[in-house]
Amino acid sequence: MKINRRDFLKTTAATSLFFAGFGLPSFASQNKKNLVVIMLEGGMDGLCAVPIRGDKNFKKLRSKINLKKTLKLTSDFDLHPALENFKACWDQNAASVFHATSIPYKGRSHFEGQDMMMSGGTVPYQEKTGWLGRGMNLAGLKGNGLAMSLPMPLLIRGVPLNNNYFPIRSSLPQKRLLNIIEEEFNQYSEKDLSETLSIIRNRDLNYFPGTNASTLALEAGKLLSDPNGPRVAVFKVENFDTHAAQGGENGAHADCLKEYDQILKALKASLGSTFKDTLILTLTEFGRTIKQNGGNGTEHGYGTAVLMAGGLIKKSKVHGDWPGLKNKELFQGRDLNATMDARSIYASAMSTVFDLDFKRIQKDVFFGDKLENLSDKLFKA
Amino acid sequence: MKNFFRKVAFGIGPNEEVPSDPLAWALNQLDDVPDLTWKGRIPSGKEMIEKYARKNEIELKKVRKKYKDDKKLLKIGIERLNNETGLHFWPSLELSIRHTEAMYSNSPVLAKLWFFWSNHFAIVDGGFRTAFYTGPYEREIIRPNLNQTFEKLVYDATTSPAMISSLDNSENIGPKSKIGKKNKKSSSINENHARELLELHTVSPAAGYTQEDITQLAYIMTGWMNGYSKSTGDTLPVEFNKDRHQPGKKTIFGKTYKSGKKGLANVIKDLVNHPNCRDFIATKLCRYLITDNPTEEMKRPIIKAFKDSDGFLPEIHKAAIRVAFEYNDQYQKFQKPENWFLQMAKLADFSWPSSPTIMDLYEVGNKPQLAHTQPHGKLWSLGHNPYGSKQPNGFSDFEVDWISPELLIRRLVFAKDCFELTKSKNNNFKFYKNIVKKNFDNPERIFKYLEKANKPYEIQILLFNHPEFLRA
Repeated sequence: MKINRRDFLKTTAATSLFFAGFGLPSFASQNKKNLVVIMLEGGMDGLCAVPIRGDKNFKKLRSKINLKKTLKLTSDFDLHPALENFKACWDQNAASVFHATSIPYKGRSHFEGQDMMMSGGTVPYQEKTGWLGRGMNLAGLKGNGLAMSLPMPLLIRGVPLNNNYFPIRSSLPQKRLLNIIEEEFNQYSEKDLSETLSIIRNRDLNYFPGTNASTLALEAGKLLSDPNGPRVAVFKVENFDTHAAQGGENGAHADCLKEYDQILKALKASLGSTFKDTLILTLTEFGRTIKQNGGNGTEHGYGTAVLMAGGLIKKSKVHGDWPGLKNKELFQGRDLNATMDARSIYASAMSTVFDLDFKRIQKDVFFGDKLENLSDKLFKA
Repeated sequence: MKNFFRKVAFGIGPNEEVPSDPLAWALNQLDDVPDLTWKGRIPSGKEMIEKYARKNEIELKKVRKKYKDDKKLLKIGIERLNNETGLHFWPSLELSIRHTEAMYSNSPVLAKLWFFWSNHFAIVDGGFRTAFYTGPYEREIIRPNLNQTFEKLVYDATTSPAMISSLDNSENIGPKSKIGKKNKKSSSINENHARELLELHTVSPAAGYTQEDITQLAYIMTGWMNGYSKSTGDTLPVEFNKDRHQPGKKTIFGKTYKSGKKGLANVIKDLVNHPNCRDFIATKLCRYLITDNPTEEMKRPIIKAFKDSDGFLPEIHKAAIRVAFEYNDQYQKFQKPENWFLQMAKLADFSWPSSPTIMDLYEVGNKPQLAHTQPHGKLWSLGHNPYGSKQPNGFSDFEVDWISPELLIRRLVFAKDCFELTKSKNNNFKFYKNIVKKNFDNPERIFKYLEKANKPYEIQILLFNHPEFLRA
């Protein structure tokens, strides 16, 4: 039998737990680790968020939407100036980028692409559960998911009893009435309803904080930092589909990146010390064409970047195998190519955060598809 | 027993008689498809697609070009175009038509089944198109087929502009077709529609089809597309374009089909006669009406009715309603948000939806008033806008998918806030006692519970969050 490092660690931890009462060293007090996924809907332009430096051809193709001012990441890559909180994390070795990557979707439809980025499959609409939900199920994380939306997104379906948070501008009925209803739920043995009602009653619902991204993120951070709270949170930022007036430092795409950056800022603030045990990853359906179109926007593309942040990041670095932007290096002659299946990143993240064997994730979550274990390269064990 | 009126319909309103023979009452609604009850304007699918969707599609390109340098002006330009095509109005009009059928028609049981099939053949909520396509599709393709065969329903849904657009069959081009050979790079098959026709609409994965079966069905479906021209976009009527059709024979489940337009009708005929198709439809009907996990005994009479009648929908529906009646006291199903809302609206006699007079005041070109967009806003906020399915498998019929903190908060808050939709003459215990008597078997127990309320609006919160009301 082959034992890999991760399995070995788990066995050790379990044994230690057994002896914990006898004063032997223990991993039992290890902190709860969290995974946050921010879905960037509409197709995030990896070349706008993390542009390549010194590529004249690239500059020429984007003459109307080039960034005149950037933040510097490495000798090869810049960062969009709207991502200032991401940059702050980067400076503390708590942010990194995986560039030239994509989910295995090569079509041009948002709806198919968004379906596949959430399902983790290779065929649109084939899977009816999400990769994150299946991963949580594998890790036994029932009741540990938190969606910052009203409908439960496909991404975390596949594990029971997920929580969600998306406040409505109205107040709940008075406590007295909730007591009466709860009593009736119990009389009728409505266990799930009763449990759900008690979750609701623990929330502070006397105010309507709003449903903008950073408000939701503040709340999510609070819940994630609770040792008994959820371990997974899911956000979404819409409107990355900038077919026109994409803009440079200021513009439609910059606004979306800023919204992501604000979520990051709010999460970091409200997670507090839990930030060091957290991974925050982005997910998008595809990148955007290199060439600007007649509306000073971009069309649906292919390769893009995944933004990663949190204390579980190994070090600030732009990962990936850069495919180049010469004509013959492009996907279908127009898009940044993908040299890494983005699912490798997500599988590695789940392996790290959920303490699961990578191969099991590959097999049970991603259908045994060929993925690369990047855990040690990208994340702290 | 009385929960049967909510199980297969939307309950008994305060001014309605309780039918003395509930089963006969339900079965009598299933032979004919009457005209819609809504008295206001009902636009045709042709008008919606060829006038409004077309304008939106064509003009959007121009707006994007015109305001390419200014994101604020672009936003205003798109908003103006949306008003010029009624984009924010149509979904609420469609919901008003739909809800009127549930609450005020003489065939609420048929309405409940209409909603079932619309969800079975769900249209994916995608971009601006949904606002123009989905409502008319449910009215003109799904509804008239409720007293036809399942085979005809499948064929009509499959060749409808809404479904073809939703599942990308316009991009399904045979590589060996005339056009496929000419444009090698951009022509390939698109299997989405073919796969869902097998998986979601007819035989289900239980039939054990292979990837090759999917590919072969996709070949049969090549050429079916939304008609296209440069000046109209893809808003011309659905056509079979033989220049895109993959030539040669195709084989599915071991049976061979000749190339050509008739292939689709032929293969659908075989799919709906497949034993797994009957089993799948029976399972879904039982799951919708009775329980998450239907038993073989429940499904058997529905499967038999399907087989004996060659898939005649009124017979299938009658069998399903009989089974729902038989198991009524044994199983109570947790109701999905829209169903729950409609039952509340009907029992409490809400002023809902907006009246035809109000809806007809809207003129395309203007920004709609709140009353013109309220149905859509309310259903969206409730977490179950029936026209907003994110996936082609529609909204789940499993209870667990509808129990989450926010969704329960919506029920509590809606029961409270919808008090504004009640009529003041009804704001008294007597009114609520009347509807409880009509809709519950043990009214005394519910009265006792409701007596804990101090004010009429509190009765409403308690009643519509009572476990017996949340289920049917």
